[in-house]
Amino acid sequence: MPESASAIKWKEKLSAIRDSFSVSIAQKPAGNPEALELRFLGRKGELALLLRDLKDIPLEERKPLGALGNTAKEEMTVKLAGLRGAAGPSGAAVKSDLDLTLPGWPFPRGSLHPLTHTMNRLAEGFLKLGFTMSDGPLIEDDHHNFEALNFPPFHPARDMQDTFYVDLKDASGKDMLLRTHTSPVQIRSMEKQEPPLRVFHTGRVFRSEAVDASHSFTFHQIEGLYVDKGVSMADLKWTVDAFMKDLFGSAVKTRFNPSYFPFVEPGAEVEMSCIFCKGSTGRCPVCKSTGWLELMGAGMVHPNVLKGCKYDPEKWSGFAFGGGIERFAMLLYGISDMRMLYENDLRILKQVQ
Amino acid sequence: MKILYSWLADFIENPPPPQELAEKLGRIGLKVEETKKTGASFTGVCVGRIEKIDRHPNADKLALVEVSDGKDVLRVVCGAKNIAVGQKIPFAKVGAVLSGGELKKAKIRGVESEGMICSADELGLEGYDNTGILVLSDCAAPGADAAALFPKADYTLEVEMLPNQSHCLSHYALAREFCLFYGLKLKEAEIFGGAAPDRGLPVSIEAPELCWRYTAIVMRGVRGAKTPDWMAERLRAMGSNPKGNILIDGANYVMYELGQPLHCFDISKLAGPEIRVRRALPGEAFRTLENRDLKLDPGMLVIADAKRPAALAGVMGGLESAVSDLTDAILIESARFHPPTVRLASKTSGIRSESSYRFERGTDPELTVKAARRFAGLILEAAQGAKVEQVSDNYPVKYQPPVIEVSPERINAILGTGIAAGEIYACLKAFQPGIRDVKPWKFLVPSYRKDIESVWDVSEEVARYIGYDVIPSESAMPMRPSCVTANWAACAEMKNTLAALGFSEAYNYDLVSSREIEACALDAAGAIELRNPLSSDFQYLRQTLLPGLLKTLRYNLNRGRDSVLVFETGSVYAGKDAAKTERVDCAGLMCGGFPEGGFWKGGQGSAEFYHLKGVVSRLFAGKGGFRFEKPKKAPEYFMPDACLEMKLGGGSAGYVGRLSPAVAGAFDFKDNNIFYFEVPLDCLAAAWKPDFWQKIAKIKPVSAFPQNWRDLSIVLEERYAWGELERSFSGIQDLASARLIDVFKSKNIPGGHRSLTIRFSFSSMTKTLNDTEVGERMSAVLAKLSKGFGAKLRS
Repeated sequence: MPESASAIKWKEKLSAIRDSFSVSIAQKPAGNPEALELRFLGRKGELALLLRDLKDIPLEERKPLGALGNTAKEEMTVKLAGLRGAAGPSGAAVKSDLDLTLPGWPFPRGSLHPLTHTMNRLAEGFLKLGFTMSDGPLIEDDHHNFEALNFPPFHPARDMQDTFYVDLKDASGKDMLLRTHTSPVQIRSMEKQEPPLRVFHTGRVFRSEAVDASHSFTFHQIEGLYVDKGVSMADLKWTVDAFMKDLFGSAVKTRFNPSYFPFVEPGAEVEMSCIFCKGSTGRCPVCKSTGWLELMGAGMVHPNVLKGCKYDPEKWSGFAFGGGIERFAMLLYGISDMRMLYENDLRILKQVQ
Repeated sequence: MKILYSWLADFIENPPPPQELAEKLGRIGLKVEETKKTGASFTGVCVGRIEKIDRHPNADKLALVEVSDGKDVLRVVCGAKNIAVGQKIPFAKVGAVLSGGELKKAKIRGVESEGMICSADELGLEGYDNTGILVLSDCAAPGADAAALFPKADYTLEVEMLPNQSHCLSHYALAREFCLFYGLKLKEAEIFGGAAPDRGLPVSIEAPELCWRYTAIVMRGVRGAKTPDWMAERLRAMGSNPKGNILIDGANYVMYELGQPLHCFDISKLAGPEIRVRRALPGEAFRTLENRDLKLDPGMLVIADAKRPAALAGVMGGLESAVSDLTDAILIESARFHPPTVRLASKTSGIRSESSYRFERGTDPELTVKAARRFAGLILEAAQGAKVEQVSDNYPVKYQPPVIEVSPERINAILGTGIAAGEIYACLKAFQPGIRDVKPWKFLVPSYRKDIESVWDVSEEVARYIGYDVIPSESAMPMRPSCVTANWAACAEMKNTLAALGFSEAYNYDLVSSREIEACALDAAGAIELRNPLSSDFQYLRQTLLPGLLKTLRYNLNRGRDSVLVFETGSVYAGKDAAKTERVDCAGLMCGGFPEGGFWKGGQGSAEFYHLKGVVSRLFAGKGGFRFEKPKKAPEYFMPDACLEMKLGGGSAGYVGRLSPAVAGAFDFKDNNIFYFEVPLDCLAAAWKPDFWQKIAKIKPVSAFPQNWRDLSIVLEERYAWGELERSFSGIQDLASARLIDVFKSKNIPGGHRSLTIRFSFSSMTKTLNDTEVGERMSAVLAKLSKGFGAKLRS
């Protein structure tokens, strides 16, 4: 079938475009691939305009011409890709005009608070040891915060925790208070659940103390509770040791010293070998050269606490351990003044990733 | 509690050196917070007199000083500025041992120095002026040993005392504990052993439920008895200020020594004279030693004479019966009171004394006589001609030691140990030498250990005795599944998304001031209030996270930051009358340049409403049933026409918007280009309930055929919101998405109208849509737009 004049003219134009493309791409130095792509292949490029002209060509001739056009397009695309590569088949060295030292697009970068990071990590430690998270209110009653934890009224142990009271009353007419520790959640968990149980809780606590470098009227704690048959202090020691090793590596050592918390008996204070000086001789400002860091409190659940929650202390026994999040965060991030954690200075917060 | 090493050593045979003692106390649960050297430990230093001062030939800041040591005149080089001829100074000769070590002969800038004039620091003395050399008193004799002018070398230990350690609140008691646990021999103090009749001055206990024992010693001829220097020195080292009168100082001394608080009454000032231990009468008046007037109530115990209270039992004595330098006859009180009563009296009166501190922790019932006799003995030593006339001991209910049955199996079960029975028995025997090895062992609790109540307490003592290191680290705990709470999971997702979007997490206090509440256009009267706030800045519980975040914003703007993106999660507290007082919110705030610092190619703007709306959309992305709505009533701190409510499954999920000008003004910001959102977390927590898997939306298949799109530009009245248009497109066949790509107004568009350009994408699951089919669908779109909203195609 003879070709129409318009088809022949169309083919000539295509051939001219291909030639001028070949010349452009063979130039030394070679042209900019972006510019070439725009000139030949872009939406208003030479080839695109030519393909659009196909509509003026008789229908039966359009298909083969269209195919020719597409083949040309593919060739050009491949050659351009070659040009973009460091050294294409033509061997032409390609130079980019990008100044690679200019900054990239400033995607905003936020941050989590150091206390959140610390709390997350400690919570993960409890989860790995099979402790399930539990929850309790921040506004507590005297029963859960003190009485049920074996702090009798008028007992000097209450002086250990200066308390904020609020203008709400509990069922027995006593002032409600802001919880002074996370331990009331132990009581709430035992009230809700029959033994055995293994739970932990982390959150905010309040003490009526003036703010200075190492005190704050608001801080955070984390603590775990395990009650089962035959739980002993050896279980507690293993759990605390595993928890610390999970956090700080298998080289750290832990030791117990006798201590007192009304809701445990025997009670202990947990010390960890100093991760900063590793016990080497010389001055260590963190552990004050003692080689040990005091990190947590621990002990066997006091029989009075179990009885109060209707757990029979002759049948069930348990342990609890926990500590302050701030203490861990200050050690980990090298913070010497607790107030820094509540100042919210973005120059500081953005350093924490 | 402060402990003097030398005083403690009085009671321990062969005590270990101070540092070792401190470490060993720590291992039995008595933490020594600080060990400090006190007094003079230097040697070879005498009193010198400065005879002459010349300039050093080779140094402007040094002087050549001639010092007389009583025999010879020696020449030394000195750099201190406060030297003057005639001064008495501590003069160290070669060979003296100072805080820095032994003094050697030295040549300073070419001049030989034959000794050194010392500062307090060089002598190792604490608590003295250290700005130059230490100038001694004028009456010091040249040549005398300078060390004699200062207290003897000693150490003070600051021991942390926990509420259960009432059995360690004195030097003797701490020594007893130390000797018991480390197997050392305990030495006793010298006690007056003389006999005296129990008659003369009547003593009666009328409230035996509050006073368990009352020992009294009457003495005469004590006038003018002075406190000996050694006692005054020890009291000073304890931080107590000796008065010079042994009747006062001696009582304190014995309390620090044995732990029993004592009190002395001047018998000539007692009506009767007699002693009645009774409850206070309602409203009864009492004037304390410190000249404070108190009104008493029957919940308090008093020591009264025939007429009126002479002391508030265990807390403080009265002014009227107090001893003075003229006192000749005294009654020494050594009693044991009901601890909660003393604590309550101390709290209500606001008087905390060393005495109430010990009584409220509980004193040893078997100590009263010993302490009173020790005090009497000290007075007899100090007062020539003094005499003990009467010794009374009212002891209505004798202390019965609790008996605890102890078996090695039970101890080992609690501790998780395999301690041999013999070792456990040795511990019990150290406490109770008379225990018999008949099983089950019957452990009699010593009178000073009221904290030991059960076998759990005994197991702690066994572990302390052997050392906590005896407890192995081993466990056969079964595995248990664990999980977090729904709130925690929802909170964690929020936090991570916000941090990834550029927001930094802040931690603010839950407590705010009434000014801050009102600045947020809220009502402080409805907020929960602290009964005992530290200050008015922290008096109420926050009802929203807004005030804290605004403080965070201001703090950072004040430090030169021009772009602030912050968020916080935390508890907020509804008003007093709300059914649920606490909930956890997540809130965020955006202000200033965005993106922070800009981009060198341009494209930086300021934070605006649509940025934050975009952030909130991201937070809720993929949460079924989420949409924005115009709020019926937005919180007051938002601009009413620049605030949207989030809805999740029908319930409210918080608000996002621009802050009202009033709030921005109240917090001293210069404009209200501050954008804020808050979300109550419980609306999201439901998605993490254990049946969360039922709520997961199944993935929809996508079309295998190409997608077609058409742009449509329309003009319509401004009152029609995009949200309404968007909803109207539901039901258009094969419509995959309708995306707003341009909003446009110009003078070619009639007033009150705007032009929207919308990109419609169509996709069929069964075929490639041809032009005609797409055209039909677009006609349906246009019909909806023109019918529902009067929209016209833009020409």
